Amino acid sequence: MEKLILRRVDRNYEEMVLNFGPQHPSTHGVINFIVETDGEVMKRAIPDVGYLHRSIEKIGEATGYPGFMPFTDRIDYVAAMFANEGYAIAVEKLLKVEVPPRAQWLRAISCELVRIASHLIAVGTMTMDIGAFTPMVHGLREREEINDFIEALCGARLTYNYHRIGGVAFDLPEGWRDKVLAFLDRFDKFLPEFDRLITFNEIYKKRLAKVAVVSREQAISYGLVGPNLRGSGVDWDLRRDMPYGAYPNFEFEVPVGKGWAGAVGDCFDRYYVRCLEMKESSRIVRQALETIGQTPEEIMAKVPRNVKPDAGEVLSRVESARGEMAYYVVSDGTNKAYRVRARTGSFTAMSIIEDISGGLMVADLVALISSLDVVAPEIDR
Amino acid sequence: MAQSVSEYTGAIKDTVKSFWHGMSITLSHLLRRPITVQYPDRTPMPVRDMLPPRYRGFLEVDTAICTGCQACERACPINCIQITLEKDPANPKQRVVTQFDIDEAKCMFCGLCVEPCPTGSIQHTREFEGSQRNIRNLTFRWSDALSPFPVYKVDKNAEYYPRAPLGSLLRAKLEAHPWNEAGPVFLPPEAPGAAKPVAQPKAAAAAGAAGAAAPAPRAAPAPKAVPTNGVPAPAAAAAADPVPAAEKPVTPNPETK
Amino acid sequence: MATVTLPKGNPRTKLLVTLVVALALPVILFGAVLVLATIAKPEPVAVFVREVLHHDPATWPFTGLVYGVAAGLLTFMILNFGAVVAAVTIWWEMRVSSRMQSRIGYNRVGAGGFFQWIADAVKLLLKEDLIPADADQLLFRAAPYFVFAGFGLIFVALPFGESVIAADLNVGIFYVTAVTALVVVGILLAGWSSNSKWALFGGMRSAAQVISYEIPAGLAVMVPILMAGTLSMQGIIRAQGAWPWQWFVFTNPAALVAFVIFFIAQLAESNRPPFDLPEAESELVAGYLAEYTAFRYAIFFLVEFGNVWIMSAIAVTLFFGGWQVPGVAAEAYEAARGAGALPAPAWWGLQVASMAVFFVKTFLVMNLVIWIRWTFPRIRVDQMMNLCWKYLVPGAFATFVATLLWQILVARVPVASTVSGVVLFVGALVALVQMLRLAKQNVEAGGDQVDLSNW
Repeated sequence: MEKLILRRVDRNYEEMVLNFGPQHPSTHGVINFIVETDGEVMKRAIPDVGYLHRSIEKIGEATGYPGFMPFTDRIDYVAAMFANEGYAIAVEKLLKVEVPPRAQWLRAISCELVRIASHLIAVGTMTMDIGAFTPMVHGLREREEINDFIEALCGARLTYNYHRIGGVAFDLPEGWRDKVLAFLDRFDKFLPEFDRLITFNEIYKKRLAKVAVVSREQAISYGLVGPNLRGSGVDWDLRRDMPYGAYPNFEFEVPVGKGWAGAVGDCFDRYYVRCLEMKESSRIVRQALETIGQTPEEIMAKVPRNVKPDAGEVLSRVESARGEMAYYVVSDGTNKAYRVRARTGSFTAMSIIEDISGGLMVADLVALISSLDVVAPEIDR
Repeated sequence: MAQSVSEYTGAIKDTVKSFWHGMSITLSHLLRRPITVQYPDRTPMPVRDMLPPRYRGFLEVDTAICTGCQACERACPINCIQITLEKDPANPKQRVVTQFDIDEAKCMFCGLCVEPCPTGSIQHTREFEGSQRNIRNLTFRWSDALSPFPVYKVDKNAEYYPRAPLGSLLRAKLEAHPWNEAGPVFLPPEAPGAAKPVAQPKAAAAAGAAGAAAPAPRAAPAPKAVPTNGVPAPAAAAAADPVPAAEKPVTPNPETK
Repeated sequence: MATVTLPKGNPRTKLLVTLVVALALPVILFGAVLVLATIAKPEPVAVFVREVLHHDPATWPFTGLVYGVAAGLLTFMILNFGAVVAAVTIWWEMRVSSRMQSRIGYNRVGAGGFFQWIADAVKLLLKEDLIPADADQLLFRAAPYFVFAGFGLIFVALPFGESVIAADLNVGIFYVTAVTALVVVGILLAGWSSNSKWALFGGMRSAAQVISYEIPAGLAVMVPILMAGTLSMQGIIRAQGAWPWQWFVFTNPAALVAFVIFFIAQLAESNRPPFDLPEAESELVAGYLAEYTAFRYAIFFLVEFGNVWIMSAIAVTLFFGGWQVPGVAAEAYEAARGAGALPAPAWWGLQVASMAVFFVKTFLVMNLVIWIRWTFPRIRVDQMMNLCWKYLVPGAFATFVATLLWQILVARVPVASTVSGVVLFVGALVALVQMLRLAKQNVEAGGDQVDLSNW
């Protein structure tokens, strides 16, 4: 690939080709960017993905339907709950199974908690990429608490494997609800503190303002999803516009980029949309926990042990922390899927980098990558 | 870019103000308590006891209540559980589990094997400290051909199944040998005088107790082995009777009691 | 396996050893610098040659040799001092920063992790010394020398105490500014010779940054020079008083601005965040350090942290009254010295007091540097230039002119400086109290409470 590019670069010595990655502290995993630069200013950056490819979709054809669930954790290990949910919904559609209401609420609670955790990583690493180390550690500190809750809920901190085809694996543990509510009280105070510490810091704002602006049209035509799409001013959120699960029961805002630091769709908008989304997620979790029944109910639908859906194909869509996540599952009537395809937000986000990186500085590339919140395993799967 | 005077001074003002707030926050954290958990040696109690009860650590099998139904083996998406069932030679009506290996190095701690277990015999524990110099030591052998266990007969009316305290069996296994011990040798050592083993495992197995390579099928419960699905292979049956050659392996197997 | 082990060693012994070393280190280093700086002067050497060796110092051919030995010892001790100061700065910075991030930080080697720097140094020295195959061998090896020379030479003109200075050059501050520039030569060499694109980026950024920021720094330094009327480090300190309202930073409103400009420029010159562009970890991996390992890396690291202490010391010298001990007039030192060949005990006591004052002030300014580092994000290259040329340089010129006018028009009235000093000092105190109150509010807003028990 590099050779290919080298051929294209004029042989004048003003320019050089820089291999940004795969081992680079701010590529968020193993991604390579081939950067053509003229001094500090880039001509363009070409993402070279595939270093973390693990054939997860192919594995989906080899394991049975329930057995693929833990592998979905590995698609996006920063927010594995959504990958679980998307796959579960897909197979439930194939099986035409109705999920019990309590399970749907538990799904919403777990997913929104994980969304907070994932966004804390996103904004935290973003501040670290911009050079401030302390906010990242503060973000991780809060994330640790969420991890503790999730661990108490399902037994794992990262690869949750909590959702099941037809429901969820566990009901709420004892005392969990009050602990999470107490945490949310603290967390709602943490967010303004975080904003004062870094978001409104003048250096930070200036570093992100008007950098790598993605226009509304660009965002749509490149298929950006989730906070990246909303950062560009497109008001689209599956949870509200195509509600699934328990989401119609909750009241929440969908933050949309407004050009807080100068231009709609710049790095700061994408960043700040995530900050606001954390607040909304906290609201959703609070509503869900306050209204969910205190007594254990059915959390699993009747699903045969040997899952053998009728032949057919389905598409399921969930609003993941990294945007819309879709599963396309084809069944041929056997107990193994004929095809499992996952559509992830990070992959499409990578494609826009080449287009908007022209004229940016090397330091801006770092901001751009982290503002898109790409997670390498989600790109490559 | 043109800049008005108010923009110029405003930029300075905003900068100073935002810096002031940012610095007050870092200063305030200087006065708060850190949250670090100083694993492993400065915790109020062992970390495994601080973990929630649902924690998915190493798998433990209580062989006393294992029904040998192999549901866990089928549920495992990565085939890290290996179970072999045979008829007890002394009592043909009783089936025994001659092999119950869990490769914890391969296990991804998803918990899918725990769910179908009818008696709760296989469970995740809160044990997670299992670093081993030799990765083969992470294959936990809950049963082997020398000391098979009989399958548990489920009492339909039982309210619960008497299970050993969770983690106690696993801890005993973990503490049975030091972390840096050499791993078990799954393949038998070559006999000193034997010629190069000809690649005829079937023939060798058929040769039974006669050849030095005889114990190959039974001493090789390699995790990779094809799932036997409980159908006792003829070779395994041959290996079940205590052949003197079976005692030959030079390296003692720490997991074997 | 799977058992909890207690920390090795007796914690009480560990604490005792740490305390002994932590106290002995400054005593030994400061004592050595004090004694040697006093002895390594022509007059005491002459007295020593006459009284002890019984030679006429004027005609004895080896007088120069004795002097040379004394000066050499002083150099050796000062370099050790620099190394240890840099190392302890690292320890302190890591402790403070970890608390800012709700962590504990160094706490394993020695009580409070105080010996971590020794462990780190040993580790770095034992690492394999690598030179990339395509690197420019000579320049690659030479770069750390430049950097270390630029660091070590500053100590020549650093006033530790009233008489404790290796050489009170009459162009002291000019000399300091000049030798500091050696560091950037080293960094540039390191960046270029590594033959790595990241290192080259780092080196180029560093060159652009340091050269740009020399200008506002130099102009800001002119303010105390104008106020003191001398370039000598000791002269600048002597021109200030011991009490806070007599410090240059407060006696002239323009000097306060000049201090801020000088401080920012110094941050940039020593590559401290938010100006750590040359080694910006998240952008350039390690910048000019990318290809360095082992001892060479250790030297760069040492200089980086040593420079924190040095820039604080220079700021204290120029703006915060240096070593001036409150209540001790300049004549008191002379009076306490006595007539003997060696100074009287009272004089030594005063010297120690002045060194302590200097050290405490430096420590406080150093904390400010650390505090800034762990709060702010990194600035971008173009913004760095923008800040320098659009804000700092005009500001520095303005303060320069304002100081000229102040000196000509206002400072003639003796009370003006005092009024300005008192007003600004009170303002600074109010700001400090405000900051502490805000911090306390933050603690309470976070639903937490002030808790220092685990420090």
